[in-house]
Amino acid sequence: MIETVRRVVRWFESPRLATWLLVFVGAWSVVATAVPQGDTVAAWASVHPFIEAVVRMLDLHHAFSAPLFRVVVFMLAVSTALCASKRTKVAFHRARALRGAQDQDRDSLISAHNLEIVCAVGRGSTEAVAEADAALRRLGIKTKRRGDVLSAVSPWWTVWGSPVFHWGLVALIAVVLMGSLQRSEGMMGVPVGQSVPDQPGSYGVLHTGPLHSWSRVHHNIRVDDLVTDFRTGKIDRGPTPIVSVLDADGRVVKKQPIYPNNPLQAGSLTIHPAAFGFAVNVSLLSGDGAVYNRTTKLVDISEVAPEGTAPLGALTVSDREGQPAERVVVTVPLRQEGGNLVVPQERQAHLVVTTVDGKPVADRVLNTGESIALPSGGMFRIDSIGYYARLTVVHDWSIPLLYAAMAVAMAGLTLTVVVRQQAVLVTVAEGPDGSLRLYASLRFWRNVPTNRAEIETELTRVLGAGQKEDDS
Amino acid sequence: MTIEIVLMWVALTCYVVASALFVFGVTFVREGMVRAAMFATAIGLVPQLVSLGTRWARVGHGPYIGYYEVANGLALFVVALFLVAAWRNQRLRAAGIAIMPVAVLLLGGAMLTPTSDLPLTPNLASYWLFIHVVFANLAFASFVASFGLAVAYMLRERSRSGKWAKRLEKLPAQDVVSELMTRFVLAGFLFWGIMIVSGAIWANQAWGRYWAWDPIETWSLIVWIVYAVYLHVRFTLGWGGQRLAWFAIVAMPVSLFALLGTPIVFNSVHGGYIGGVDG
Repeated sequence: MIETVRRVVRWFESPRLATWLLVFVGAWSVVATAVPQGDTVAAWASVHPFIEAVVRMLDLHHAFSAPLFRVVVFMLAVSTALCASKRTKVAFHRARALRGAQDQDRDSLISAHNLEIVCAVGRGSTEAVAEADAALRRLGIKTKRRGDVLSAVSPWWTVWGSPVFHWGLVALIAVVLMGSLQRSEGMMGVPVGQSVPDQPGSYGVLHTGPLHSWSRVHHNIRVDDLVTDFRTGKIDRGPTPIVSVLDADGRVVKKQPIYPNNPLQAGSLTIHPAAFGFAVNVSLLSGDGAVYNRTTKLVDISEVAPEGTAPLGALTVSDREGQPAERVVVTVPLRQEGGNLVVPQERQAHLVVTTVDGKPVADRVLNTGESIALPSGGMFRIDSIGYYARLTVVHDWSIPLLYAAMAVAMAGLTLTVVVRQQAVLVTVAEGPDGSLRLYASLRFWRNVPTNRAEIETELTRVLGAGQKEDDS
Repeated sequence: MTIEIVLMWVALTCYVVASALFVFGVTFVREGMVRAAMFATAIGLVPQLVSLGTRWARVGHGPYIGYYEVANGLALFVVALFLVAAWRNQRLRAAGIAIMPVAVLLLGGAMLTPTSDLPLTPNLASYWLFIHVVFANLAFASFVASFGLAVAYMLRERSRSGKWAKRLEKLPAQDVVSELMTRFVLAGFLFWGIMIVSGAIWANQAWGRYWAWDPIETWSLIVWIVYAVYLHVRFTLGWGGQRLAWFAIVAMPVSLFALLGTPIVFNSVHGGYIGGVDG
């Protein structure tokens, strides 16, 4: 059993597997951008019937939530975690080696060197050290003098870039996964001046993660105003709602204008503007003129609708027995001006009343305060026509952690890319035969402007009568 | 034709001359021509900078919006990074034979597109735009530098004792060129990563989601993965030599496609940076 686990771990640790997993994710992503994503793919499918069969089999129309893709990403995450763990061990070893090199004295260097050059006759040790120093500097290695030892040893932390980067990626994948399980994201329409509870019933469109809980959400969202030409400095931010978040007791927790790049953030809640439209407040009156129901109908601005607006659903009116009798559809006609549709100063409501089975009953344009009699008895009155804001509301506690994981990964990568990892120690001493010899310990890992071969060649050129290499 | 456009034509002319001088200088082993090519490159950068600076002051935003500005910005960073690299290590000058033609193609392409001013849309009006674009440009310039070194490596490798080996003998040793190529890839990988991260933070600010597998987002990830594979095969599978050089040569056009091709090919919410309108 343990042996099997070890084998699996070794397999996941394999750099070859990691490379192939990366290649798969890359290739899959390329294909995914060439295949339409989502559910509205009928037109594409009819043009590519053969490819469609393969695409459906692999669930490529939902490429980034397809089971195969998820399995590969999971494997990549495991592989990255094991790779990070392996690199952590390597970094420990290297950090220890760097600390050791920083403490290394002349005698220990002479006994544990990996390069030895016999200096030409007629040169003193001070002169030889100075020439070695100059040669190393020419190759881009700046040394410090520690007694008779030239030293260019990186600090211990320089070797931690790669593990930090890989652990950052692991954390990123974990946070994205956990965040998506608890994330909720949806759109709600809120008329200006009204507030709605932040609960599923208030949303028109809502996607929630399987572990999201609404029982801990107790606030309300209110749209205080909608400024159609909001400006900050010289920039026109477009139609901008002023939004408040209220706690369970009705106290304002946060209030601000929201526009692109300026969302409202309160804890794990983020609110963005999505669109705006009209909110038509209507009253239903009984035959004796008493109001028995008030409601708000939302109307969207639409480029394809002939009047420039489209209703968000119809209102069903019941008769005295409580049976559905009529359906009322409300729009707000826009005015033509120079080929564009603009919002008129005096807004009106266009009402189309039909029976529940679709027979036309009335088609009228009403001003605010006007009403229309319904065949089932009673009246339908337009009280006011204002705006509503459609808001994108997101609950996601993972965003700050996500940013932190990204920052850690990028910091690790920066360290990996920028900082040198080297341990260079050089000294000159008399050898067993009485000749002057250069002893060096050279260890290079990353971002070094030269290499061991170049250093050997250069030092031999400036100092050497001969070279004796010892890789002990 | 405005002074901005005239200056840009001057810059393009300098880059064309520089490219030609690099080709002739390297091919006929004329060091003087290579020096002149470097001079023409540096001279060309001046009118390009002045033109872009003037435009920036006039329209109120940097070269971020529309094909003309985006390709122009990329060309600027490619040339500037090459100049800095060749100034720090003069032995790299011969790589201009492959790098400068890329700058010419970018700037030439930009000059053939509409140069009209495009305003900042509400979604684009953010300081994240600056960070996002600067790192995209830095990354692409690094990838082009690795591409140039890879081309030089391959030319020399294919004729180890032949004409090209002699023509490019001023370059550092092959293993040093290969190492430098990888260092540019590493730098580009870092910059591209920062570009993706800043884009994700910005997307969350602008749209309320940090990642949506939009085609442009997806292609930016594809490029990062391509270079991650490069670094994996280099550092963990021990690839080197011609295979690695070919990799760097093939990978660079992928990054170019991600930056300039995807907004044209795909319908994307990010399309605003090329078309000047929000998706």
